[in-house]
Amino acid sequence: MTYEKQKCWSILLRLYHWSFALSIVFLVATGIYINFPWSNTLQLGTGSFPVAWVRYVHFVAGYVFTAAVLARIFLYIFGNAQERITDCLPISGRNIRNLIKTLLQYSYISDEHDERLGHNVLAGCTYIITIIAAVFQLVSGFFMLFPEAHIWQSWGVTLFGNQQEARFIHHLLMWWFLIFAVIHIYLVIWNDVNGPEGLVSSIFTGDKFKHKKA
Amino acid sequence: MADTVNKTLIPRLDRRGFLKGCTMAAAALGLSETMVPKLVEAATTAQRPPVVWLHFQECTGCTESLLRASHPDLGRLLLDIISLDYHETVMAAAGHQAEQNLKDTIEKYNGKFLLVVEGAVPTKDNGIYCKIAGRTAMDILADVAPKAAAVIAIGTCATFGGVQAAAPNPTGAVGVQTLVKGPVVNISGCPPNPISLLGTILHYLTFKRLPALDSLGRPLFAYGRRNHDHCERRPHFDEGRFVEQFGDEAHRQAYCLYKVGCKGPETFASCPSVRFNDVGVWPVSVGHGCIGCTEPNFWDTMTPFYERLPNVKIPGSGIVADADSVGKKVLGITAAAVGIHAAVGIGKRLIKGKDEK
Ligand code: HEM
Ligand code: HEM
Ligand code: SF4
Ligand code: SF4
Repeated sequence: MTYEKQKCWSILLRLYHWSFALSIVFLVATGIYINFPWSNTLQLGTGSFPVAWVRYVHFVAGYVFTAAVLARIFLYIFGNAQERITDCLPISGRNIRNLIKTLLQYSYISDEHDERLGHNVLAGCTYIITIIAAVFQLVSGFFMLFPEAHIWQSWGVTLFGNQQEARFIHHLLMWWFLIFAVIHIYLVIWNDVNGPEGLVSSIFTGDKFKHKKA
Repeated sequence: MADTVNKTLIPRLDRRGFLKGCTMAAAALGLSETMVPKLVEAATTAQRPPVVWLHFQECTGCTESLLRASHPDLGRLLLDIISLDYHETVMAAAGHQAEQNLKDTIEKYNGKFLLVVEGAVPTKDNGIYCKIAGRTAMDILADVAPKAAAVIAIGTCATFGGVQAAAPNPTGAVGVQTLVKGPVVNISGCPPNPISLLGTILHYLTFKRLPALDSLGRPLFAYGRRNHDHCERRPHFDEGRFVEQFGDEAHRQAYCLYKVGCKGPETFASCPSVRFNDVGVWPVSVGHGCIGCTEPNFWDTMTPFYERLPNVKIPGSGIVADADSVGKKVLGITAAAVGIHAAVGIGKRLIKGKDEK
């Protein structure tokens, strides 16, 4: 059986993926520290600013994260055929069939692998949920970061009520990203093993492998 | 000699106390000292605005803290610059006479008087949980508020419902702004600093308009900044020096109270700069974290007071746990599920053998 290489992900999508993933690694690590700054300095005059410094890293990573999310929203509308939001949602017969086939394959009921170039629809929906969570994460983050700015204040108050609730939701959403990452990394490897595309390399190179149609 | 036994029933405010009060208000408003004479002038020459002060579901703590401040000048100054025509705690009239006063004031000064509301308004079952002279609080508010020149809600109960609005809110208590059309100045706090009310009223007298408000209706001069962002212990926060436990060495060293649940990072107030009781203190300066009393829903969201974040309540199960122990469990279950999924996949391959394509 022969394979052909097909262009799938644009460079912007790949850049977005890795800035998103890497910024989240930093955000989770620094976020946990902000919640519980375990390194107690206990001494005056040491000239170290651990909390201020960790918060700074959190905010820099937060801006990278925000840029990544904005890039993804742009691609949902203006990206290539695989990147558009319409390719990710179960809104066409082709997509609904793909969702069912994926569920059957993931639960080991059937061995059939639905060939398509973009995400499978189950993955696509999970990614959309993650981007929505990311929007809430960055709005609550900026609400805490710029508490006096009118625009963040009115959004923050409308969505969360007060700073404490925003912080609470910000913290709970962190767990979504952690859980997502575990399942996500497992499933892309699983697909790499079980499917022909070479899925993992596609997020580096942008290309997927497809059965060549005769 | 201080008037320790309060021989005179209505002690007169001397000029020094008067100037001092105006200066404190000017400082709180962020005005330069050159503005103090303007405030003094407005406070002495402007016609004293009639004020109606309504008490609903509350503990009268706001009035108490206002009138019984250790330094009585503030309360007296306030009584000097306004004409308090109806105030259930301090008025001399009682019964029908009191009700008549209220009626007369709102008719005579229709559109001109200031309305100050203290306490939340219960709305459940047509508001029967708070009645004064046979009328519900909802009725009285609906009658008086539209006739007022401005409405000021004082205290967290009147602004956001306070403790009686905490879950499950048995009487359906709400803050004044939920029921009143038009702007309400929210002087929140449990109790609020008297200077915030004084500043608002002096601003109104001097500039003939209400001070600038934040998106929750609180005057920016008093609620424009988070306690955490102007706290004297902030350097300890940035440098990572924390109290781990009340009474420990770090607590004696006056380090930051973040890890014992200080809500300064989530609370807008003027406490660290204006302070209380004319002895220059606020909770953090005496070793207790802020509990976030000026914020909406503070009883529901700022508790537990000695933890960083609220607990997660799993509906229907009665389980209450902190966010991280729930998160760790869910993550553990996820990891286990991933492991099982992988094992099933491998098992299936072993059974079926490698059916090569
Ligand atoms: C996946 C993304 C993110 C994660 C996992 C995350 C995680 C966290 C965590 C766990 C905290 C500590 C809250 C607590 O428990 O007290 C926190 C605080 C905070 N985060 Fe994030 N965060 C993320 C994105 C962002 C973004 C995009 C911004 C905006 C720039 C941001 C700004 C903040 C701010 C301002 C704080 C409060 C810091 C403080 O008050 O000292 N975060 N974050
Ligand atoms: C070693 C780590 C990772 C690898 C190898 C990896 C690989 C991949 C691959 C191959 C895809 C495309 C999957 C498909 O076509 O359905 C993808 C998409 C995605 N990954 Fe990752 N990933 C990693 C880490 C992460 C992390 C840590 C996050 C965030 C928590 C993340 C978030 C995403 C998202 C949101 C998408 C969807 C892209 C889109 O919006 O179209 N990834 N990843
Ligand atoms: S004591 Fe409270 S308000 Fe002050 S720096 Fe620490 S956390 Fe912030
Ligand atoms: S320190 Fe916090 S809890 Fe105390 S009065 Fe000020 S805002 Fe309220």
